[in-house]
Amino acid sequence: MKYTSRLLILLLIVGIGFPSIAQQLSPERKQAVDSLALEKVRDLSKYISVIGSKETPWSEANRVIDRAEELFMQNSEIGVSSLARQEISYFSVRKYFERLMRLNYNKVEIEWYNIEYVSDLQQQPDGTYVGVITIFQRFKGYDKEGRLVYQDTTKKDITVYVKRKETQIGGRLIGFWDVLLGDIRVKETMK
Amino acid sequence: MNFTYKQLGRFFMIMLIGMIFVGGMSSCKSKKKLAMEQAAAEYAAKVDQAKTDLTAIISGSSNWTLDEQSQRIATIKSYNIDDPEVLDMIEKAEDKVNAGKIEAERKAEEERLRREEEAKIRMERSTNAVIDNQFTAVASASSIDAANGQIQTALNQFASPDVPVLIIISKANGFNDYDRPTTALKFLHYLKDKGQYRYMVESVKRDDLGKITELELIKK
Repeated sequence: MKYTSRLLILLLIVGIGFPSIAQQLSPERKQAVDSLALEKVRDLSKYISVIGSKETPWSEANRVIDRAEELFMQNSEIGVSSLARQEISYFSVRKYFERLMRLNYNKVEIEWYNIEYVSDLQQQPDGTYVGVITIFQRFKGYDKEGRLVYQDTTKKDITVYVKRKETQIGGRLIGFWDVLLGDIRVKETMK
Repeated sequence: MNFTYKQLGRFFMIMLIGMIFVGGMSSCKSKKKLAMEQAAAEYAAKVDQAKTDLTAIISGSSNWTLDEQSQRIATIKSYNIDDPEVLDMIEKAEDKVNAGKIEAERKAEEERLRREEEAKIRMERSTNAVIDNQFTAVASASSIDAANGQIQTALNQFASPDVPVLIIISKANGFNDYDRPTTALKFLHYLKDKGQYRYMVESVKRDDLGKITELELIKK
């Protein structure tokens, strides 16, 4: 009886202690997670240019929208600005991509650059890592004659959420880092 | 004392025989002694040589192979040297050679296993290279149609389009960190959209038909 209760106490200590040990990421692992989150933003950048391109077939654009939507947390919003107006409009992710696909230009070029962390991934009490990545977006819209009719550069902040999850694959437990993007907020719009 | 010539002759004959006999005896005795001394010297030389050779074997300073060392010990043993020091050295030398043989066998086994492993890795790499090449072809296709054609070709290797694809983002102390698992079809389209393949096949699981049932990639 005495032995059993001691064993139970020991298991309890180990059980409580283990998650906190497991959550201590080594610098190498942390760097890998940081890179993964940046990669997801680069993926989004690519998806946006594919969806926005008038050369992308409609079916392909819709497939890419589905993939792009998978990058985001539910109910996330993306900000849209213009040099022509002061206010910033926010749309749901799906709506934003659908609008992007239907932009009234003959040709659209969207490029993201200077993609970097403004706020490093920090662990929250629930174990989720949260950080902010800033990007610069250069947008160019051309008319039928191939003339550049609109261009701007927008600085945007993207909140990223990284959470450790587990799933069963082929009978084994796989621990993975789930990176999800949150709201994309417009910080500055310039010519 | 009157001797006749006949008696005198007989006396001299006996003396001569006696002298020959005594002389012969003395010569035989010195030859035997010489032989014994020679044998003793040869034995001493053998003992010295045996000690020198055994010392070299024990200290590992000889240039002989293990087989040559064994032969040398056997030869020394065949001398039946009755010297406690030599007998002790023979025992030590035999232990040393036996340990050397065990070590050589262990190294040979290790080498055999290493070669087997290398051959296995080479085989896996060449098989994996086929997959890597197909993925690169998808990513570097010149058009969407060309990429879709490459995707169809690549999919033929998989048991189904939903086969899990795991991407290792970091590896440390036998522990892997993965990206969110995806499927073969989604991953191939991802390569098409990204236009680059920056991974390497880490491991492949196949079914009885040789189709891929699980694919593990690692970021380059």
